Amino acid sequence: MSGHSHWPEWIYIGVVVALLVWVGAEAWNLERLVEHVPEDAKVIKVTGQQWFWTFEHEDGTKEVGELHVKKGVPYKFEVTSTDVIHSFNIHDYVVLMDAVPGRINIVWFVPFDEGEFPIQCREYCGLIHYNMRGTLYVEDDA
Amino acid sequence: MVTTKHPVMRNIIGLFIVLSILIIMPSLQYALAQGDEAGEYLDRRVVIWNLFFRMMTVAFVIGAVVSGTLIWLIWRFRESHPKATPTKYEGTGALDE
Repeated sequence: MSGHSHWPEWIYIGVVVALLVWVGAEAWNLERLVEHVPEDAKVIKVTGQQWFWTFEHEDGTKEVGELHVKKGVPYKFEVTSTDVIHSFNIHDYVVLMDAVPGRINIVWFVPFDEGEFPIQCREYCGLIHYNMRGTLYVEDDA
Repeated sequence: MVTTKHPVMRNIIGLFIVLSILIIMPSLQYALAQGDEAGEYLDRRVVIWNLFFRMMTVAFVIGAVVSGTLIWLIWRFRESHPKATPTKYEGTGALDE
């Protein structure tokens, strides 16, 4: 040990540790909030297969390549796949979840704005991956 | 109870106690206190962007401080700086051997 003072180094270490704790706490907290599905969320089963999306509502209604939802209503997506790994993505609502064969992954969201929004596959899944698209229609219930 | 007699260790432990009280505990309290408001739905777009924005702000500030410190160190401790003092080896020939 040399004779110089060590307190600047300990302050540096303290600041770094504090920042890491803060970053970890913030990220953990947000993940907790984002994964907390509201109890009144309506379930939509999302199935990806080469190369289209199928949606099944709670009442059994099915849609292919398009999805109609109500503005302001929470929806819980149960995402799966029948063949290879896809990734269900609604870019405008920051919804992104892998569709994995034999597994059901959960993601939820609330559409706050009316309109049409693109749905796409975000995991390369074969020849027509680029065209594995759909449309989300958000309608006002009022 | 802190029983160490070494002054440096005592300072370090004291520093971490202060840090934990000032930063870690409020962070945990803040994190655990949120998220169960009934009837209110969070907007993923907003909360995710906000987190990204905060993290980027911190990252850019740290980047600026570290880069600034490096640039200042290089500028201040260059050999040709007017206030540069020679090391005890310079001029003795010890470095030429």
